[in-house]
This record gives sequence, C-alpha cells and structure tokens, in this order.
Amino acid sequence: MSEEKQTLVDIWGDHVKIKDLLIAMAICITFTLGGYIIAPGEAPQPLVFGLVGGVIGFIISSIVIKPKRNVKVEGEDEDGSNDYHAASNS
Amino acid sequence: MDPTIIMQLVIASALGAVLYTIIGIAPGTDETAVLAPVTIALVLLGFSPYVILAFFISAIVAKKLTDSIPVAVAGIPGGVMSAPMVEHSMVLKEKGLPDLSIKKMSSGSVIGTLIAIPLSFLVASLILPYADKISSYAGLIFFLGAVFLALMSRNKLLSLAIIVPFGILIQGLRHLYWGLEIVPGDVTVFVSFFLGITIGPIIFSLFELLNKNHRLNLPFLGQKEITIRKGQEEKGLPNPFKILNKKEVGFSASGSVVGTLTFFLSPVGMTVFIGDVISRHIKDPIKRASRALSTMDGVTNAAYLSGTLIPLIAIGLPLSPMAIGPAAGLFNAPPVFTPENNIHHLLSPTEIIMVTVIGAAIALIITYYVIIRYASQICGFVFKYIPHEALIGLFAGLVVMLAFMDAGLINIFGTLLIALVSGLLYRHGVNYGVMFMILYAAPWLLGLFG
Repeated sequence: MSEEKQTLVDIWGDHVKIKDLLIAMAICITFTLGGYIIAPGEAPQPLVFGLVGGVIGFIISSIVIKPKRNVKVEGEDEDGSNDYHAASNS
Repeated sequence: MDPTIIMQLVIASALGAVLYTIIGIAPGTDETAVLAPVTIALVLLGFSPYVILAFFISAIVAKKLTDSIPVAVAGIPGGVMSAPMVEHSMVLKEKGLPDLSIKKMSSGSVIGTLIAIPLSFLVASLILPYADKISSYAGLIFFLGAVFLALMSRNKLLSLAIIVPFGILIQGLRHLYWGLEIVPGDVTVFVSFFLGITIGPIIFSLFELLNKNHRLNLPFLGQKEITIRKGQEEKGLPNPFKILNKKEVGFSASGSVVGTLTFFLSPVGMTVFIGDVISRHIKDPIKRASRALSTMDGVTNAAYLSGTLIPLIAIGLPLSPMAIGPAAGLFNAPPVFTPENNIHHLLSPTEIIMVTVIGAAIALIITYYVIIRYASQICGFVFKYIPHEALIGLFAGLVVMLAFMDAGLINIFGTLLIALVSGLLYRHGVNYGVMFMILYAAPWLLGLFG
C-alpha cells in the first residue's frame, strides 16, 4: 500500500507517476506524429491532422490516466450537491 | 477591417479565452511552453495574422487572469508568473478569504490590461522613428541582449561562457541539415530549436528520473493534497473599481505603468520587486496581502502585454523577454512569419491596437466574469479530471511533430540534443532568455568568425 502511494515524482510543478507519464507521452507522440504522417493532402493538411491527433491523444491519456491529486473541498455550503468528497477517496 | 474579419476575431478570441482559462488553472504550466507551440501551429496553419494576434492576446489575458486562481483556492501556482503571489495568497486563504484574493488579483489584472494597451501604443510610437536603425543592428542587439540577460542570470559566468558554444550548437545543426540536403539552403530551422530550449528542463528531468541510480536518491511523493475552499456565490456583475479600494486602484495602476515601461526586463523580476516595494510597510496582513496581490497581478499583466505589443508595433523584432518567449510565434515562425515579414509588417499599428483591444476585451468579459463566479468549481474540475501527465504528453507530441516538420526524422534527435543541453544549462542557472537570445544572435555572431 505505502509502496503504491510513494511512487510519484515532481515534474513541471505537479506530481506524476513516471510510468503514466511515459504512457501519456507515447500516446500523444504516436497520435500527433502519426496524424502528421498519414495525412494524404498538401500543406497545411498534415499539420491539421497532427493537431487533431494531439487532441485525441490528450483525451485518451486523460481517460486512461488518473490525476495524482487528492482534492478536498471545504466551504460554507455543504449541501451535498458537489461530489468532490466522494471522488477524492478513490 | 470588414465585418467578416471582425467575426473571425471574436471567434478566435473566444476560443483562446476558453482554452487558456483551463490551461491557466492547470498547475505549473510554463507560459512559453503552453503559448508558443499553439501560436506557432496556428501561424503555420495559415490563419490570417489578425486572427492569430486576437487569439494570442486573448489567450495571454485569459491565462494571466486564471493562473492566479489556483494560488488563491489551493495555494499552488498555476504558472511561473503566479509563483511570487503564493505567499500573499496564503495569508488570505488562512484567514478564510480565498474569494477576496481572487477578486483582488483579477481586478488588478483588469487594471493592468486597461493601462498597458494604450501606454504600449504610446511607448511604441516614441520608438518607431528609430525602428529602422534598430533593426539594421538586430544581430548585435540580440547578442547584447544575451550578454545583458546573462548578467541577470543566477549563474553569470556560465551564462556568459556558453554564448558562443551554444551558438555553435545551433548553427552547427543548421549547417549539418544544409550539408545533408535535408532542408534547402534558404530555409533556417528555427521553430523546433526554439521549442527544444523551451521543453529542455522537462526533458532533462525526465531522463534523470529514468536513471535508476538517480531515482533512488529522490524523495518519492504521495498524491498531491489539495484543499479547495469554496467561496460565496457572487450576485450581479463584478466591477473591478468597486472590488478594489481607491488606494489599491492607484497602486495597481502605477505598478502597471512601471511594468509597461520596463517591458524589456524580466516580468517575474519586476513583479516580485514592485510587489515587495509597495506592500513592505503595511502592518495589517490582510491589507498588505490585498494590495500586494492586486498590484502584482496588474504588473504581470501589463508587463506581458507591453512586452508583446511594444516590440510588435515599433520594431518587428522580438526584443523583450516576453516577445522572445511566449510571443515568439508572432515574430518568427518560418516559412510564414520571418523577422522581415511578420505581424509588425502585415498589420498597421492602428490595426494591431484594434485587434488587441478586441482580443483583450473578449478575454476579460468571458474570463473575468466566469472566474469570479465559478473559481472553485473550475479548479475542482481541472484538478480532478486533467492529469498532469496528459498535458506534458500533449506538449511533447506537439514538439516532436514540429521537429519532424522542420527537418525530418533527424531533427527529432537534433531537437532532443538542444533540449538536453538547454535543460542542463537551465539546471545550472542559465536563464531561458539567454538561450533564446543566442538562438536569434547565432547566425550573426558566428558570421564574425568567418
């Protein structure tokens, strides 16, 4: 358990897991560069494909990888309408 | 400007504001790394220069407004520029007043924007008569800029010593590509080297972390604990001149004037300096923090806008830390923009100001009203659903693609080389600005040895 928790490092101002970072980079680079290379048309089409690929890669990595942040909300109106508490325990 | 262009400007500004409201909140994002690749990509896509300028101005205003928000609600900086504000924000957060610091900061930002735009125009028109003379000495000026920034760096000797060698690295790669006939002789590789320098520190730390021996010596961390304080819902339209008292308006306005006039200096440095000077003598911690926050946000915003606008209007060469970093795409993104043909040459000063006003106004309207109301919800969303890994991955993807686009497969390795060298230098106290200046000065500087 403690081993699982203490595997993060600080890079660019936030905590990340190295394995997840490498996965995210691999996904994004594959989609961006892949999009650029497979685009059939003339410039600027490869760039458009590449950028779309980058966005797709970003969305996929956001789904696959969980942020390493423990978010707690404290405040005046605890009416249960927000679910931050529930999610932060996962 | 006809109505179609104005419509496009409005759409581009709205997109810029929404996108950079989210990116601004994500912790730790560096301004150059998040703004430059996207701007450059838009330029290369062939968008009209009006649209690109509107997008950029809106993006920078939105990012500036929002990157101080996580400071207020969670005590972590949303960007390099907001780091100096953490201390003052924490004072207000501990007193249970996070919404006060958000209001003070974003109102300061609004004032900074309102001051910086007209004043930049004025300063630019004073410089304009000398512009031709200045641009004919561009190489020399960039070299002197590198020397100047080297003397401001944490490690002055190394920064000075590296000027020629780093120039050799850049020109060496360019000549290699020409020699291998990968790029035509009239094309100078720029964008990927620029981005290599930008992501250098991240790439360098990443390779350090992949080294097991190094990793074992590091303190491993658990999940980042973030506590968000929910503020009160705001009723009605917020008005910066009501949120700030007269003195705070006065101080953030005069701070913004100084920030504009010192457009050629480091924005972070000026922010820290001015924030300290104007708040040092105040005893009451809440009053001190409020004044420091509103002024500092005004200064950063003004420094960013003036650093972009003055060189853009007056000279067309990136002669400020801002222009050489985050705004680089507006000055140089070959083959579309070059130092001889960029937004400075394509748009008249009046057009630049009109587009800037539209971009800034839309960002202020969207971002200012939205963040004052929903600050804690937006932060909660970004912190919970946007993993830091995906953001780094996205920028890595963009850099690799642009490197490939510049000079094929070999340039991915060339860019990696530049990134590793710059990361190493950065780690040892060489300022980003020094390396950017060398990148611009290199052809002239090494030409001296020929």
